[in-house]
Amino acid sequence: MGIISNFLETMADLARESGFAGFIADDGWKNIIMILISFLFMYLAIAKGFEPLLLLPISFGMLLTNLPFAEMYHPEFWDYIEAEERGGVINDHYIDYGRVLQHGGLLDILYMGVKLQIYPPLIFLGIGAMTDFGPLIANPKSFLLGAAAQGGIFFTFIGAAVLGMTAAECGSIAIIGGADGPTAIYVSSKLLSKTDSIGVGTIALAAYTYMALVPIIQPPIMKALTTKKERSVVMGQLRQVSKVEKLIFPILVTVLISLMVPSAAPLVGMLMFGNLLKESGCCDRIAKTAQNELMNIITIFLGVSVGATTRADKILTLSFGKVILLGVIAFSLGTACGVLFGKIMYIATKGKVNPLIGSAGVSAVPMAARVSQKVGQEEVPTNYLLMHAMGPNVAGVIGSAVAAGVLLSIIKV
Amino acid sequence: MYGLINVLSENVIHGSDKNLSGATVTSVVITGMVVVFIGLILLVLFVTLYGKLFEAVNRRKENKKKAENAAPSVNKPAEAVPPAPVIEDGIEEEVVAVIMGAIEAMSAQSGKRLALKSVKTVKPQRNAWAAAGIADNTRPF
Repeated sequence: MGIISNFLETMADLARESGFAGFIADDGWKNIIMILISFLFMYLAIAKGFEPLLLLPISFGMLLTNLPFAEMYHPEFWDYIEAEERGGVINDHYIDYGRVLQHGGLLDILYMGVKLQIYPPLIFLGIGAMTDFGPLIANPKSFLLGAAAQGGIFFTFIGAAVLGMTAAECGSIAIIGGADGPTAIYVSSKLLSKTDSIGVGTIALAAYTYMALVPIIQPPIMKALTTKKERSVVMGQLRQVSKVEKLIFPILVTVLISLMVPSAAPLVGMLMFGNLLKESGCCDRIAKTAQNELMNIITIFLGVSVGATTRADKILTLSFGKVILLGVIAFSLGTACGVLFGKIMYIATKGKVNPLIGSAGVSAVPMAARVSQKVGQEEVPTNYLLMHAMGPNVAGVIGSAVAAGVLLSIIKV
Repeated sequence: MYGLINVLSENVIHGSDKNLSGATVTSVVITGMVVVFIGLILLVLFVTLYGKLFEAVNRRKENKKKAENAAPSVNKPAEAVPPAPVIEDGIEEEVVAVIMGAIEAMSAQSGKRLALKSVKTVKPQRNAWAAAGIADNTRPF
């Protein structure tokens, strides 16, 4: 009899400590919803090909973090506390990393790379090592389109402020308009804190989802803002860029942008370092590592740890709806600003610039450039805008990093 | 206007600030767009400048090369037409045309006169995968 009662008690204890019990505890139903949402994102990544390289790790991180009692991620470890630093300086934005290392789960440890702003610049290193800035150097005016498209970021800031969000939330949502995932994560991880109603994961989810939806969001805006005549402009061939020009470019951009907006230096600096590795031709092995192995490892760490921040209490809120709404507005405004500036360039150059390449200024490399090419070819099948659109596209990466630096300079945590 | 200038002069906003005033938001938008544009306009100027510089240098080099090539040609008889390439049986004319086109494009780009002498099939000593593996493993660090 004693054996049976012991067995039943042990089984009851096991049931109480199991994750299933967590689902029926307070707010446990929210975890079920989040797990179902993670399944949806997994489906979108695997079956629909929505930015799978990042959306799949993010959605799996979302699944892991919402499994009750798995203790892989502890949001409370990342709350800012007040602490006295060296020299008696009181820091009210102090994170106890010792506690994270002592008691943190796997995802807490990986998330340190996000919170310490290590992963996004390393991703930029890989992007730089894969990017050819030749089309931008051949047609430097493309920089202007990359700058104009950042209008989406700053105009969305207005929208977020109107909805009564905090400055940190406004900046984090607005940066989605840059259509650059690592930049969005970089800014939001620096700005957002426990008191904010949204988390880094929410921003990352919205940014990557909308980046995947670029081919659906952009074409109607591009067509609405341009005439058939403008869309039919066939642009001349770009000049050939010498190797020395390509070598000078990353050094010049790093020095100039870092001196102007120092807070953009980690992103721009690493982007350009990666590019210099590629263009130098003398560091082939390192360039290949930056493009492949390092990039892949960081992508896994970044995705799964950012996904871990999507806890039910941060996602299933009204603010998540606001992020989704403002995110699509940010993307649309960025596209519109780029196309409208393209129209100005069309007029200024007496019809030599096709305004469609302006939409590529929203980063989202190379998807946005492909969209410009596709929409252009719908009018003139022999029109090849791809290389012309790559100029504003890579300029958009630099532009969004500068915009991130500006936001971080203005908004202090 | 006074408010905007006032805000720009104290342009630090705290992350936890809520209900941002119109002047604050406008200052963020204006500052952001102006800084991004100034940064990228400076890049346009620098890149255009050094692009022009390199174009001029390259043009001068090309002109020099052309002048060097043109001078001896005055005394020389007309350049001999290269003999027709020897084509192995079984190689399609289209393939030869594509190879010749590529060589012609390279000639125009590099300024060197290149000629196709023969086209023949080569039996590979080792397959492409093996060759790629060897190349990868023997690349100097």
